[in-house]
Amino acid sequence: MVASRSVLWLAVALIAWEALDRALHDSVLVAGPIAILGHLMDNAGLLARATAETARNAVLGFLWGNLAAAALAALVVVVPRLERVVSALALLLFSLPLIATGPILRVLFGPGNGPQVTLAALAVYYTTFLALLVGLRAVSQSWTDLMAIYGRGRWSTLLRIRARASLPYLVIGLQIAAPAAFLGAMIGEFTGAERGLGVLTLRAMRGLETEATWALAVLSAGTAMAAYGAIGWLGGRALGYVPVILLSASRPRASRSFAARLIEAAGIALLVVALWQVAMDAFDLNRFFAKRPGDVLTFLATPANRQTLLAALGETIAFTIPGYVAGLVMGAGLAALLVLSPPLERATMPIAVALRAVPIIATAPLLVLAFGRGFTGTMVIVAVMIFFPTLVACLQGLRQAPGQIVDLFGLYSASRWHLLRSVRIPAMLPAFFASARMAVPAALLAVTTAEWLATGRGIGVLMAMTASTSDYNMLWSCVAALGLVAAAFFAAVALVERAVLARYAPEQLA
Amino acid sequence: MTLPAHLNRRFFLQTSAAGFATAAATGLPASAANLQPVTFQLSWLHSVQFGGSYIAQRKGYWEEAGLDVSLSQGGPNAPVEPPVVSGTALAGISAADYTAAAVAQGAPFKIILVAMQKNPFAIASLSENPVNVPGDLVGKRIGMAVANTPVLQALCTLNDIDIDAIEIVPTQYDPAPLVSGQVDCLLCWETDLPVAMAVNGVDATTMLMADHGYALHSQTYIATEDAIANRRSELVSLLRGEVQGWNDYFADTDAAAALTLEMFPDAGLNLEAQQLQAERQVPLMTSELTEANGFGWWTDETVAANIETLALLGRDVSPDLWDRSLLEEVHG
Repeated sequence: MVASRSVLWLAVALIAWEALDRALHDSVLVAGPIAILGHLMDNAGLLARATAETARNAVLGFLWGNLAAAALAALVVVVPRLERVVSALALLLFSLPLIATGPILRVLFGPGNGPQVTLAALAVYYTTFLALLVGLRAVSQSWTDLMAIYGRGRWSTLLRIRARASLPYLVIGLQIAAPAAFLGAMIGEFTGAERGLGVLTLRAMRGLETEATWALAVLSAGTAMAAYGAIGWLGGRALGYVPVILLSASRPRASRSFAARLIEAAGIALLVVALWQVAMDAFDLNRFFAKRPGDVLTFLATPANRQTLLAALGETIAFTIPGYVAGLVMGAGLAALLVLSPPLERATMPIAVALRAVPIIATAPLLVLAFGRGFTGTMVIVAVMIFFPTLVACLQGLRQAPGQIVDLFGLYSASRWHLLRSVRIPAMLPAFFASARMAVPAALLAVTTAEWLATGRGIGVLMAMTASTSDYNMLWSCVAALGLVAAAFFAAVALVERAVLARYAPEQLA
Repeated sequence: MTLPAHLNRRFFLQTSAAGFATAAATGLPASAANLQPVTFQLSWLHSVQFGGSYIAQRKGYWEEAGLDVSLSQGGPNAPVEPPVVSGTALAGISAADYTAAAVAQGAPFKIILVAMQKNPFAIASLSENPVNVPGDLVGKRIGMAVANTPVLQALCTLNDIDIDAIEIVPTQYDPAPLVSGQVDCLLCWETDLPVAMAVNGVDATTMLMADHGYALHSQTYIATEDAIANRRSELVSLLRGEVQGWNDYFADTDAAAALTLEMFPDAGLNLEAQQLQAERQVPLMTSELTEANGFGWWTDETVAANIETLALLGRDVSPDLWDRSLLEEVHG
């Protein structure tokens, strides 16, 4: 019954799509399903080879990225003192824009798929790391106390208690990672790869081949949806997990002095600068395009350069904050809506996955046409680029509501709204804040992309200029500035998070 | 392309004297081990834009000169300058303005060949609302990458037009904004987006900026001073193969387009578009100068004109950015 209704809705959607295409007759922006199918059939061999190439790189990146994420998360749980350092480094690495990393990866790896796999891995490790960290901490205090009473160490607790508790969150992480890895592999092809769906997309857009562009988008979205669905299905089978009540006593917070925090922040900053220098020296990267911290400092010592950077940074931040909020609200709001109405979920998730898996260069022209190049258009582009992790994490978080409490509300015939407000949303908070942290660097990168695609202002344009001007000093100054802003923004979100979770989920505070 | 190296060698070993004779007769190198591997960095995705290089590779012009050349494709996030400055590529394809900027940033580049005598930048518009001369730009919306504003500014200065009278709309490098009416014209290359529109039956007009004072060498081959000093013979061999390849290209552009599709079956190329592109870039690459002196040539006069345009782009350049000595060895 449910299946036949889904098929019916799918058919309605396809017919509406085809009708729209016919109505927009001669449109160079929309292709209908029949034309897309025709293109897929006519070019089956080419498209199959390209999909296989991109998918192979995405799978490799997915494996490496998630392995790295798991190792980092385990390290942080076992040695909590490392959390800030590891989180800061993970955040900054994720904040590096492709325009800076692309040439470096290509010079390091030479021809072949090295950059594509690396960029796919970079696209997934951060979200999985944050999701997994929440999961590894989502254990009842009574269990950790029990382990402590029996004299078991942190490793033992990690393997026996935390690893199992983290599974639902691992599934979230992997589901978020599936389309991200695919997109990362496609974007990685922009660094000079010979084949793959990303290369074909570039070609199709420039060649005014609307059917090809849409066929490629359908293929990318379809592959990502299949991966997303498969992980969800496997996760559902493997888990058989019923959320339990995690009643943890709130602990007296070890309040650290302002000076101690300042010293810690300075220590991390020094470490980052040292790593930046050492990594570039170790790989003997040419100073022309791989600028060291000293080059950036010298460059920014000139007032004119500093002013250019700060003016652009101001424009970027002005768009980032509302874009960030728009992405979070869209993700969390949609998740709440979908929990209230499960049939809606089946209709919405494929679209959400598709928006995440198709490169923004392919979707932006439509978004710009619909919403303009001003504030609204930019917000929509940013929200589309960042809402997906929030949606998936919050959806899973809402389901973390303990079964006993849900049953209790059922007994008293509480309304769905009441259940949502009093039970599901509090249970969702750890996942929500994890996604709020994921969204920080993602929002900054999304705004710089939107600036380049639509508004023509801000840091995004300053960075895009380096393609023709070789002004790598400015590029790396932008990279450093974005990193600083991301770190500050992240710290602010973490502050709010600690205040909220101290009340609702104290087990999350290490 | 000749046989793969291992087959060659096996053939050679098995057939002894006969093998020698064959190899000598066809001009094949006796062993792949003698070939010097070098990388040539292209400026964009594979297409007939680099047709002469593909011919040089396929016909073995480089092998004859002792080189095993890998053609490394470019892309949106694959700038040419980093691999050339790092030495991972022996030479690369740039443009005079990009090279001047890189040199100002400390890269020790020289221009060693000028493939496009005329700059390919053009203003493309729909024929029902055409931009035929620079004056037509006034009051129009132009779609372009904001990064190219200096290019438009230079065109305006050259033709006494107030750039503020033109509305710049930041767009991707894509003909769709023009065809769907979001802008009135595009700043693009004569040989890519207009070709795509022509192939798709869109009636478009192009105004070549080079015809309105914008004198700037494009598709220029660059190498570092270090490579010119220490890997000179390899560079000369590379250029020699290029010259041979491009001479063949000019003789039959359709064959070059067909070869491009054959060599890159996974690139998603369209034969009709490649043929048209191949044809349209010929007038940009050939001139009286190249007729008289050979492919890739330039003179002090064209360099002087380039320096004037570069000054409009805010680049102060001296004539020794160009080094013709390698090309003179090839043509001499």
